[in-house]
Parts: sequence; structure tokens; C-alpha cells
Amino acid sequence: MTTLGRFLPPGAGRIRRFARSTEMTLAAVGVIGFVALAADSHGSLLQGNAVRGILTYLSVPILIGLAQLVVLAAGQMNLSVGALGGFLSVFTAALMADHGVPAPLAIGIALLAGTVIGAGNGILVVVTRINGFIVTLGTMTILLGLQYRVAGTRTIDAGSAALQRFGSMSLLNVPTIFMVALVVAGGLAFFLRRVAAGRRLLASGGNPLAAELSGISNARSLVLAHTLSGLIIAVAAVVAVASAPGVNKSIGGDWLLPSFAAPIIGGAALAGGAVSVLGAVFAAFIVRLVDLARAQYSLDPSWVNFTVGAVVLGTVVIGRIQEVRQTRSRQAKPDTASQSTNSTVRSPA
Amino acid sequence: MSAPPVERTDVEVESRDRAKPRRRLDPGRAQRLGLLVVIAVLVISFGSASSAFYDQQLTIFPLLRDISILCVVGLAQLAVMSIGHMNLAVGRMAALSAMVMGLAYQELHLPLYAGLVLGLLVGAAIGALTGWIISATGVNSFVVTLAMDFVLLGLVSLVYAQFTTSAAFTVKPAGMDELRKYSLADVCLGPVCGSPAVPQLFLFTVVAMLAVGWLYSRTRVGRELLLVGSNIKAAQLSGIPTGRRVIGAHALSGTLAGLAGFMLAVTAGSFTATIGSEFMIPSFLGPVLGGTLLTGGAVSVIGTLLGTTLTQVIRQGLTLLGVGLESLNIYLGAILLLALSTGRIRTVLSERKARTSR
Repeated sequence: MTTLGRFLPPGAGRIRRFARSTEMTLAAVGVIGFVALAADSHGSLLQGNAVRGILTYLSVPILIGLAQLVVLAAGQMNLSVGALGGFLSVFTAALMADHGVPAPLAIGIALLAGTVIGAGNGILVVVTRINGFIVTLGTMTILLGLQYRVAGTRTIDAGSAALQRFGSMSLLNVPTIFMVALVVAGGLAFFLRRVAAGRRLLASGGNPLAAELSGISNARSLVLAHTLSGLIIAVAAVVAVASAPGVNKSIGGDWLLPSFAAPIIGGAALAGGAVSVLGAVFAAFIVRLVDLARAQYSLDPSWVNFTVGAVVLGTVVIGRIQEVRQTRSRQAKPDTASQSTNSTVRSPA
Repeated sequence: MSAPPVERTDVEVESRDRAKPRRRLDPGRAQRLGLLVVIAVLVISFGSASSAFYDQQLTIFPLLRDISILCVVGLAQLAVMSIGHMNLAVGRMAALSAMVMGLAYQELHLPLYAGLVLGLLVGAAIGALTGWIISATGVNSFVVTLAMDFVLLGLVSLVYAQFTTSAAFTVKPAGMDELRKYSLADVCLGPVCGSPAVPQLFLFTVVAMLAVGWLYSRTRVGRELLLVGSNIKAAQLSGIPTGRRVIGAHALSGTLAGLAGFMLAVTAGSFTATIGSEFMIPSFLGPVLGGTLLTGGAVSVIGTLLGTTLTQVIRQGLTLLGVGLESLNIYLGAILLLALSTGRIRTVLSERKARTSR
């Protein structure tokens, strides 16, 4: 279980302190970016329709970011985010369209299925002791196959008027599905901050051995993290079905990379033990802004990937530089300072 | 001061536990032998289920061609796995190299092999850059290569949009078509010619395997790479320039990814932005099934070939039996998990046996 932690950087506590300023920076970048875009669009971005559109298509990125964040918190990774989301989307839509299952029941089944599959990931990781990366790579492949099998080449329209209404409903131009995403984010933040199980999960991620010695079951934390991830992905899948006119076999195919981008830009330590829900939400918003800017200036869609990649690289490099600088200033008194800044010494621990 | 040393001892204990039965059984060799047996059984049973499986032209030739390409992809991943890193951008590095080759053929009218060398150099450069970012910042290779994947995904598509009308470089330098179609039957040493079932592209794979195998088993640099992977602190204390080794491993990964991109482009007949988009999963499957450790320090070149062969034989066999693409993924994923679980079961069993016999 701890093998992943082996080649990840240490210093969770330091990063957490840094995370507070990260959230501030991200919020500032988001606001400035949005204002600049809005000003350049002569205010058309501030109209009700536009705001609704922005927030509607922000829900899924936030949710998949959170689904990845909760496993990152436990020092794991979930490569099956996109495949599970895609499978659950077509599964839910097919339940309603092909089998006439009423929407609330179909949603319930989807949430249950997501939870069970997530728990399955966690149990596989714990029981087989295979690296979580490889386990979720395997389940990702299986789920992709299942998604293709359910969807085939067709586009499934859930055909539920109630669900479509739910997907397009909004209160004061804030879509309900965006509120769903915020509620999940709030719940997750509360869980990780105030609930004992959440604290244990973070402890397992931050330092598995210390957690084990203090009587925490790392196995339980891992299973819990993967289970929560599955549940959140199920919510994302339901949101996707509700907000899209139809789902097909390609849905979820482009979820994996953004799911990592949001928590990482938001300040999560990949070593586990330190995450920022708020940071991830802001980061998802910034990624959305990049997409908006692309649409506004009718640029090639490839610019989005390029920019997001560059932002992630920039974020990790700047974060590291700040961290090194902090360490240096803290250790400046003894003359070991020059030694301690050699980052390659610390990288593998 | 608490986290790193504690964690390290944990890992050491774990690896010591694992090392004990290894000396007894040599599971690395057992695993490769097991793979070989499974492949043989599968080939025989697929062959008896459908005689088309033995068709040299229609089945064996394309099968070996796919294996050739994906084995090189596996080696590209193996290069970074040896130091305990990952390269999620392996496919996109292949795309970048292939793009440079296509650009070179179209704009500079370079001959086939000059373009190949140029592309490999670009692959090495992007790999080295990735390695440099990782070693200079100390950030996890997963994050850096993931971000690199994003960057290259965007960059490659933009360049194709800029320079081509149909999102593909279709200019074919002399010799490219021959390379695609020719088999070893066209390579003769005097009166003895090779098998028509083995594509010429396989020679690239053999060269890559020999080079990588030689690097890790015979050279000092290779040993140092493995030590960096198994215990970077010890490597550093023994005076190994770990930063340079990290950069070197990623540069090697980028080069091999570029070679795989070239081979795929030759097979497909054109250079497109989608080259390499399917490389990520196979790149891990081959080495991991073959016994290369994700945590670094142990690699198997032959195992990578066997692991790749196994997945491709299953893929080809199931396709012949009429299993659709959709179900194929289900089986492949299940087999991956099963194969890796058996390794774990074997370790548990041998540990138990060792304990009772003591």
C-alpha cells in the first residue's frame, strides 16, 4: 500500500500551509480572468444565459476533480474516473430509455453501482496489494468495455422529461446541477476536516506507517477513499445524463486528465495527506475559463489542452520553488542551508 | 523530520520480505516461463478453434507487427519504470516524434532514415526536458508527465492544423512502403531467406531490445539506473549523479516512444496526430506482466516482449473468434488483474510455506 508513497515528495504539512495561499491565488486568477473575458465580450458573458451555461458545464469538472481528490488524499490514484463515469452515464440512460425504469430509481441504482464499483477498486487494492495505479488501470479497461457493450454505436437519450427538467432548472441563474456539485464539495470538505473517518483517511495518506501505529486501519481508509470516489463519479454521471441531450460510448473519455488537473492545480499533494477541496473547485473554474476564452476567440480546441498542461507544469514548478525557498529560510541559521536545498536529495523519499 | 525516514524503513522491510522467496524460486524467471506457457497454450487453442489463426499473411504477420510496435512502447515505459518513475506522456511523445518526422519528410524532403533520426532526437529532447523538470523540482513523475501529455496533445494538434489540410502528413519518402509490406522473406543471407510471416519492422524491435537489454545488464549506467530505482538515497551516497540518471532514463523513454511512433506511422502509411493515443495502457501492460516493477529497480526486457505478446495474442485470438471490440477490453482488463493477483497469491503462499518449514 505504501509503495506509491515511496517516490512521492514529502512535506505534506508544508504544502498544506502553502495551500491556503494557493486558494487565494487561484481565486484571484479566476476572478481577474473572468472579469477580463467579460469585459472583452462587452458584457455578453454576464447575461443570464451565459452564466447558466458556464456553471452548468462546470459541474462535471468539479465532481470528477473531487472524485480524484478523495483518492489522492489517501495517497492513491484512480485511473478509472473517466471509464466509470462513462459507464455509469450510459448505464443510467439505458436503464431509463430501454427498460423504462423511472428516473429516481435509475439514479438510485447508478449511485449504488458507483459506490459498489468504487469499493471493489479499494478492496482489490487492499487484498491483492497491487499498486492502485495498476488496479484502476485494469478496472478502467474493463469498464470501458462494459460502456461500449451497453452503448454500442448509438446515442442514448434517457427520455426522462423530469430528469431533463432537473438538468436545465436554475435558481437565480444558478443551475441546480451546479448546486449539486457545490453540495458534494461542501460535504467532502466537511468530511475531510471534521469527521473522524475523514481525518483517518488523510492520516493514512500522509504517513501510512504512523497512521498504522496510531491504530488506524490503512486498509479501511483506502477502501473508504475508493468508495467515496465511486460515489462522487456516480453523481457526476447522473449530472452528465441530466445536462446532456444524449450520452454515447465516448462520454467520459476526456475526464481522466481534467480529474487530475483540478486537485493538482488546487494544491493537493500527490503524496497524500493534504488536499484542498476549495482549491480544486477554483482550479476547475479556471480550466473552464480557458475553455470559455477559446470559444470567445474561436481558437483551435487544442489550445485548451496546451494551456492546461502548461498551467499544471507551471503550478508544480512554482509550488516547488516556493517550498524550497521556505525550507531554505527556515534552515538558514545553521550552515547546512546549502545542502538542504538540493531538491534531488529529497525527491524520492 | 518524521515522514521520510519512517516511510523508507517500511519499504525496506517490505522489499526484504519479498526478497526472501525470490531467492528461493527466482520468480522473475518463473514468471517469464509461465508467460511463455500461457502464450503457447493460447496459440494452440486459438489455432484449433480457428485455423485462420495460423494464416501467415492475414493473422501472424499483422500480429507480429503489432507486437513489434507495442513492445517498443513497453520498453519506453520500462526505461522510466527502472528508476521508479512513470511516463504518462509516452503516447504523446510518440506523436511528437512522428509529427517531426512527417514535417521533415514534407517540408525538408529528408530521406527516410534521416527523418527517423531527427524524430528520435526530438523524442530524446522532450524526454530529457521532462526528466529535467522532474529532477530539478522533485515533483512526482506522474504529475509532470501528465501535464506534459496535455501540453503535447495540444501542441501536436496545433502543428498538424497549421501544416496540413487533412490532419496528416501523407508524403512518403522512398522505402517507407517497402518497410511496411516487406517481411523477413525479403531479407536473404545467401540462399537462406527469413520467414514471410515476420515483418521487417520486427528488426527495429530486436535492435531496441538488444540495446536496452545490453544497457541494463552489461553497462555501469544501466546498473546505476536500477540502483536509482531501488534506493535513490543509497545511489546518491554512492556518488551516482541521480539527477543526470533521471534525465537519461526519461530521454531514453522519449527516444523509444519516438521509434514506436515511427513504426506505427510506417504501418499506417501516414503521420497523424492520433499516433500514440492508444499507447498508454499497453505501455504498462507489457512490462508489468513481464515482471518489471512499478516501484523501480527491476526490469525485464524479454518479459516485456512476452507480456506484450500475451496481450496481443489474446486480442487477436478473441477478434478471430468473433468477440467484439467492446468485450475485448473487458477480458483484457480482467486478465491483467488476474495475472497480477496470481503473482501476489504466489508470494503469499511461498511466504507461508517458508514460515511453516522453519
